[in-house]
Amino acid sequence: MSSSPRSRSSQTAIFALAIGAAIIGLSLILLYFGVNVLNAGGQFVSGLYPPIAVTAEGAKIRDLYTVVFIIAVVIFLLVEGLIILSVIRYRRKPTDTELPPQIHGNNIAEFVWTIVPTILVIFMFIVSWQTLNAVDVSSPTAQTKIRAVAGQFQWQFEYLAEDGTTVLYTENIPLVSAGGGMMVPAGRTVQLQLFVSPKDVIHAFYVPQFLFKRDVVPGRTTAFDFTVDAADAGQTFRGQCAELCGVGHYTMLFEVKALTGEEFDTWLAGKVAQANATPSPAPSGAPGQSGAPGASGGPGASGGPAPSGGGETLQISAQNIAYEQSSLTTKAGAPFHIEFDNKDAGTPHNVAIHKDSTTGQEVFRGEIFPGVAIKTYDVPALDAGNYVFECTVHPSMTGTLTVQ
Amino acid sequence: MTTDSHLAIPEEHNPLASMPHDTHGGISNPVLGMLLFITSEVMFFGGLFAAYFSIRASAAQWPPNNPQTNEPFHLQVLPIVSTDGIISVSFVLIATILLVLSSFSCQYAVWKIRSDDRTRFLRAMAVTIALGIVFLLMQVTDYAILGSEGLTLSSGTYGTTYYTLTGFHGAHVFGGVIMLAVVLYRGMVGQFSSKHYDAVEGASLYWHFVDVVWILLFSLLYLLPGKTPTT
Amino acid sequence: MATTTLTPVATRSRSALYAWLTTTDHKKIGILYVINSFIFFFIGGLLALGVRTELAQPGLQFVTAAAYNEMFTMHATFMIFLFVIPMLAGFGNYIVPLQIGAPDMAFPRINALSFWMLPLGGILLLLSFVTGGSAAAGWTSYAPLSEDRALAATGTGQDLWIVALVLIGTSSILGAINFLVTMFKMRAPGMTLFRMPIMVWTVLVTSVLVLMATPVITSALIMLFIDRNYGGAFFDPSRGGDAILYQNIFWFYSHPAVYVMVLPAMGMVSEILPVFSRKPLFGYKAFIFATAAIGALGFSVWAHHMFTTGAVYLPFFSIMTFLIAVPTGVKMFNWVFTMWGGQIMLKTPLLFALGFLSMFLIGGINGAFSASVPVDFALHDTYWVVAHLHYVLFGGSVFGIMGGFYYWFPKMTGRMMNETVGKTQFVLMFIGFNLTFFPMHELGLLGMPRRIADYSSTAGWNDLNLLATFGGFTIAASMGLFLWNVFLSLRSGAVAGDDPWEANTLEWATTSPPPAYNFDHLPEIRSERPVFDARHGRAVVDH
Repeated sequence: MSSSPRSRSSQTAIFALAIGAAIIGLSLILLYFGVNVLNAGGQFVSGLYPPIAVTAEGAKIRDLYTVVFIIAVVIFLLVEGLIILSVIRYRRKPTDTELPPQIHGNNIAEFVWTIVPTILVIFMFIVSWQTLNAVDVSSPTAQTKIRAVAGQFQWQFEYLAEDGTTVLYTENIPLVSAGGGMMVPAGRTVQLQLFVSPKDVIHAFYVPQFLFKRDVVPGRTTAFDFTVDAADAGQTFRGQCAELCGVGHYTMLFEVKALTGEEFDTWLAGKVAQANATPSPAPSGAPGQSGAPGASGGPGASGGPAPSGGGETLQISAQNIAYEQSSLTTKAGAPFHIEFDNKDAGTPHNVAIHKDSTTGQEVFRGEIFPGVAIKTYDVPALDAGNYVFECTVHPSMTGTLTVQ
Repeated sequence: MTTDSHLAIPEEHNPLASMPHDTHGGISNPVLGMLLFITSEVMFFGGLFAAYFSIRASAAQWPPNNPQTNEPFHLQVLPIVSTDGIISVSFVLIATILLVLSSFSCQYAVWKIRSDDRTRFLRAMAVTIALGIVFLLMQVTDYAILGSEGLTLSSGTYGTTYYTLTGFHGAHVFGGVIMLAVVLYRGMVGQFSSKHYDAVEGASLYWHFVDVVWILLFSLLYLLPGKTPTT
Repeated sequence: MATTTLTPVATRSRSALYAWLTTTDHKKIGILYVINSFIFFFIGGLLALGVRTELAQPGLQFVTAAAYNEMFTMHATFMIFLFVIPMLAGFGNYIVPLQIGAPDMAFPRINALSFWMLPLGGILLLLSFVTGGSAAAGWTSYAPLSEDRALAATGTGQDLWIVALVLIGTSSILGAINFLVTMFKMRAPGMTLFRMPIMVWTVLVTSVLVLMATPVITSALIMLFIDRNYGGAFFDPSRGGDAILYQNIFWFYSHPAVYVMVLPAMGMVSEILPVFSRKPLFGYKAFIFATAAIGALGFSVWAHHMFTTGAVYLPFFSIMTFLIAVPTGVKMFNWVFTMWGGQIMLKTPLLFALGFLSMFLIGGINGAFSASVPVDFALHDTYWVVAHLHYVLFGGSVFGIMGGFYYWFPKMTGRMMNETVGKTQFVLMFIGFNLTFFPMHELGLLGMPRRIADYSSTAGWNDLNLLATFGGFTIAASMGLFLWNVFLSLRSGAVAGDDPWEANTLEWATTSPPPAYNFDHLPEIRSERPVFDARHGRAVVDH
């Protein structure tokens, strides 16, 4: 009837090893994430915490995260502790030949662990709802209105007039480091409208330090407000498309730079004056359709319709967010031309040349322009050596250039 | 692997025969299986209907304009007396009536096999199948007419939803006709009696389901008033 | 349908292989399910290693971005549709008729049909790799990306994906019908509904979910197919269609599908814990009600995958998502108090069950973060979500499946698995799993989105990604040990006997492996533990 005696000694050793290794593994992981807990500006920072928020809304979300996090940790420690305790305490001993008491359940216990978690989750729901009403708003009275236009695979930022529809200025370059980016006035409420052509796919506007993202859905327009803390003026925040949108999904980076209110006003006025002076940029709408050259170009741009002067001409073309050439060779000590064929409709690219590697010194930067278009760059003479060329907008696009 | 003593039992042999089990009386396995299958079919059409309602709700105008004529698409339903006095009877209304009738004849067949009236069972089943085939032929004709008027699967959301909904219903009618034909054949070779008619019952349930879906579709596509843009 | 003719005995001397290919025996079909699922588990695992290898360092070193998108899409497709769901269906196939004392499933030939649709679907998916690229729009295949677009899912791969999923879905639906009819109509005398083992109950609720939810995704896939191939406009916003509509229909299936993937694993754990604690399951009925509650709530939470679209009614889906934690918590406490006061024997099946409890706990708790809508705004579509879903589907389902495999392997084959190798496998897998997926929490919080082929070396994600990749290969090593253990045990494992674990339920009342129609005689069924009653007598039960 009852169990036959088992050989347990060898198994016990292995079991001890197993549990020991598991506990050590878990502790190491917890240690790894635990040690970088430090106090920065009075805010709790840890590997299990989101970054410090730079917007008023993000700060509220971070506070809510704290509430959920504390409840989660308490429940985790309680249940995990009970599991480990029961395994340690109630291991079968060699003397256990009789069955333990056959307890089938306890209605009071069931009642307690139904009601208490219910109260807990309703509490979490209520605090979440309150935060939701504070962070997911869009008021027509916002002082600054910006429209982010997503497309495969790029961002454009349109600065709108009071009415929320008239486009004052369009920024085609999504990265601050490439001479563009999304400028926002710190301390002022910004209404961000999100738009994508109905012929495009779903994207998502995501800035980790805002603790916020919102999908950009074709056929729908959405908007939300945010206010970057005045103290964060001068900082640049990285952002990225967060909804899979095709092969170039990982290249859909952008940067948000916070300016002070006055800096922003001056900057925008300058851009608007510049835009009015030149018969440029394409109006808002489907980015994939616009074939007109957009931005006024980055520093060092020297695009011209035809190669001026002599020298060799290199052909570089880009398609699907990638160069079609991986390595090129040219002569040292003589100026040359690059005929750059951007085949990605609506997507801005350029060719920039760095010494040795992409992090090396930039020796040339060609004008950034959206496809489909061809431009020719005049490149000054280079010393012999190894160079790389990359797209300033899409740092993943690279190739090598050998000068000999 | 099985042991030798079990090899003698053919695999197709009904295992229930040799084992005690709780039959709980009532509904038989095939009929319960069919009811569950119909449940899943209800959810399938539920998905299509949800898509229809969602698209319809977000459209400014329904039915939308036919690009060929610049008039809204129009599905004709009721018999109407045109100005010259000729009554043009709606195609789809006849088809609907035929399909509803076939449901009755199908149920009649079930009742008859229950009372062992094999002749009437076979006749009613044959009538049901014939009505089903006529319905399908009328639907094909209807598609041809609508197609010539410019309504196709690729002519926007209206055409897409119309053909998908009616097309999948038609496919189910076709499946039902096949099912009923198998039942008819098995009835003709004498496999059914008042003690053994699960397959008849199952096929009949399926046919009723197909009928109900059509009544819903008909009300939705032909009877529910459209909406015009508020300008 | 057709008439049954008894073939002469002479022509019935088939080869063993032929017998397996044409079998309608639920046990053989169950084993075929398990083998087939493991094959696709290894294919999906290789794709996962590919993904981790590419992400180990910044830069695209091994594959192109397009190939990367194919890899993670197909990794998830294989793991969800051809590993977890069929694996649990396979265990259900083997175990459920045995546990309710039935000779077979209600419709044996339909059972065979539902199995054979799976390898067919799998082959279609594999074919897509050689017909110009597989689907690459993620396993969710959101429209309009999955529609015919530039730079997206343009090839036949997406179409093959749709066809394969419809096939696999049909297989699931037929299987669910079969399970339900078997459970309602073929229980042995005395096996009332409230004496059915929890494993059977979880398969019952799972079957209801499959029956109600799978046809809905079939409709979405068919609409997608019409859009792609016949000029339909369902999900095309430029022609009046609705992109969010696809997500609604898709998640109406795919959230219940999460419970399809985890409930039977919970059932397995609920079989293992009482046996190795030598106590009955704590709160048997509460457990059943909790399972039913999860199933019911599972249909009202789908839009919590869509909080960031801003196109769903957030408070409703938020509160429902929070509430689903309650029945899950009830189960967790019942499991813990099943062990409490018992005599716990730390065999490999129990180790995996403990792995399930402790890891699924994390997966459940970090679900509460996503239920909180504003927190979800920060976490959605980042690696946090990847961590969460793997703590549920790997920490939960896979640990449960492994436990179930070690637990029922003696019944299926008549041989015990090697304990030493098994425990080593558990330790490696547990450590590898946490090394892979725990760092992803932090990656997500730092802002690393899902499904990106490459990341900047300056983003601060390098070390954590390398760690996760290392963990991924540790998991692979543990699976190598598993294969070795299966091989070793099949060849020279100890003979198991009818009831090696001193278990409770009916499958242990017959031989290992059981004969063709399962039982020569059945014990009296007077409780949910008939084999326990037969071993110890009724007196013990009435404590």
